[in-house]
Amino acid sequence: MKNENISFKDMFIKGAVIFNPVLVQLVGLCPAVAASTSLVNAAVLSVVLCADLIITCLLASALLKKVPRWIRVPLYLLIGIAIICPVLWIVETKTLTTLSLGMKIYIPLIAVNSVTAVHCEQFSVKNSVKLAVYDAAAVGIGSSIVLILVGALRELLGASSLGGVTLDLPVAFKGMLLPFGGLVILGFVAAALRAFIAEKYPAYLEESGPVVKKPENAAPKPQPAEESGEVEEVELFDEFWTSETVETPAEKEPEPQPKPELSSQEKIRWESQRDIEEFFKSLGLDSDESGVDKQ
Amino acid sequence: MAVKADNQKRVKVSQIYGDYLIMLAAPCIVAWRYYGARALLVIAVSVLTAELCDLLACLALGRKFLLKDLSNIFIGAAIALMMPSGIPLYVPASAAAFAVLAAKIPFGGSLKAPFVPAAAGFAFASVCFKELVFDYSYNSSGKLLGARSLGALLANGNSVHLNALNTFDILSGNVAGPMGTGCGILMLGCCAYLFVRRRNALLSTAGFIAACAVFSMIFPRINASPLTSAVLELSSGSLLFAAVFLLTDYSSQPVGGVFKIISGALCGIFCMIMRYVGVYEETVCFAVLLTNGISPVLGSAMAKNPFRSSKKTPQNVSTPSQAENK
Repeated sequence: MKNENISFKDMFIKGAVIFNPVLVQLVGLCPAVAASTSLVNAAVLSVVLCADLIITCLLASALLKKVPRWIRVPLYLLIGIAIICPVLWIVETKTLTTLSLGMKIYIPLIAVNSVTAVHCEQFSVKNSVKLAVYDAAAVGIGSSIVLILVGALRELLGASSLGGVTLDLPVAFKGMLLPFGGLVILGFVAAALRAFIAEKYPAYLEESGPVVKKPENAAPKPQPAEESGEVEEVELFDEFWTSETVETPAEKEPEPQPKPELSSQEKIRWESQRDIEEFFKSLGLDSDESGVDKQ
Repeated sequence: MAVKADNQKRVKVSQIYGDYLIMLAAPCIVAWRYYGARALLVIAVSVLTAELCDLLACLALGRKFLLKDLSNIFIGAAIALMMPSGIPLYVPASAAAFAVLAAKIPFGGSLKAPFVPAAAGFAFASVCFKELVFDYSYNSSGKLLGARSLGALLANGNSVHLNALNTFDILSGNVAGPMGTGCGILMLGCCAYLFVRRRNALLSTAGFIAACAVFSMIFPRINASPLTSAVLELSSGSLLFAAVFLLTDYSSQPVGGVFKIISGALCGIFCMIMRYVGVYEETVCFAVLLTNGISPVLGSAMAKNPFRSSKKTPQNVSTPSQAENK
């Protein structure tokens, strides 16, 4: 086994922050977008997700290493279902009937969550039980934090309440309770996490997603209006935010490229065009002035 | 290389949105004429909110705020004009804030936004405040249908004859509806201005209007002649306004005339389908956003077409914002 001495803190930073499954890897979006409409819903989903993830990863690391891959993946789902069924039974029949009605199909869907399958297959079956549990816990906590944050924000903005307690906010944006609202909030949270990674862990920035680079051949910044006496123009690529000008793509001059070989029809067209131009030149006229279309 | 870059034609943000603001002046005057100072108040609140959100975002992100970036004014005014004049002021304010903070700034500015910010703002308001956004009862006593809009008339599927209605009232926007978008005659004037300034952009508009007209003639929602159906569908809601002001957006329009027409026609079909089966009275902003999402895919698919001419648009460039990123 490799990396046996790795600490839980390191695993947590990587699993929950730098490679957050929901915000960076974009897996397990269904519970975050569709079901996390309130703090309580998000908390219940988080508990179920963590339990499913940790137990499945533990079993996968302990028992499924020798099992062929084509059998392993269905087994992850079966383990998930075996964990979820009792939870679902408790939720639906005991005390949280209203809650289960609100969450509809989303608790059973945790059993087939892509987060579980991805982490079992990519990490757990290749590492020790201890590291598999560390990874599952880190990923579960990372996902849970996102789910709870998104759920709380959506409840606050969409229903003017938090944890079921009504707050007297002046405006409630009902759209935030729809999946559209979940996606918008997830986008902002993902952007905030990206800024945090860029600030605290810049070495991992490229690993956790594409980095926007400035083009190397950007044109130089024009002189200010006071100096040049012209209208002020700020180059697009220098000032990403305060861009004032943009190149018109249709007017772009093409890069010099090697001429492709002409087909027979194009050769004929090109030769006839050349003959016409030579004819007008012999008459002392330009073909443009004569109204002949060069196209 | 630098000399070549300097020689390239540049389009100013202020120039693009300056043209839009010149065109928007007329609907603002019409809104003031029909609904009084309340219309101007709604527009002012929306514009100020858009500017304020941009300023705050620039401060938070350490960027330079440019007052002369006229896109905020356009976004605020366009959103306000698509709403009823009696709407509570927090609705256009929140729509303008959403447009700037969620649809413009995260993508790097108005010329890089893949979605039209004004359409996103209005769609947000439609989803969050459906009852308020489509309530046209304010100051509707002198209107042709009272507090009922043309959209509601079409949705009910009544039997309508165009002769029975005052066609001039419909074309001049004297019907309950969004405060600045109902005047079809004015929109034709705006089209004429845009034709002079940036005629290529109107290809999307042409495709859109043609698709909507044909669709409404083939599948009329009301018991009327195809022509009546087309006139009423085109005059209802913000359809013409969106065709002129939102579909011609610089950054989200696909590159190439054929692509523009196709995307406009797709938008028209989406809009009409959503009008027929959707729950909202006004669906054109959703259709515009959907088309914005499809345009890059459409451009890429067309770029791979082996039968296309070699003189067309640059390969793998489907929108101006993608082109400038190249």
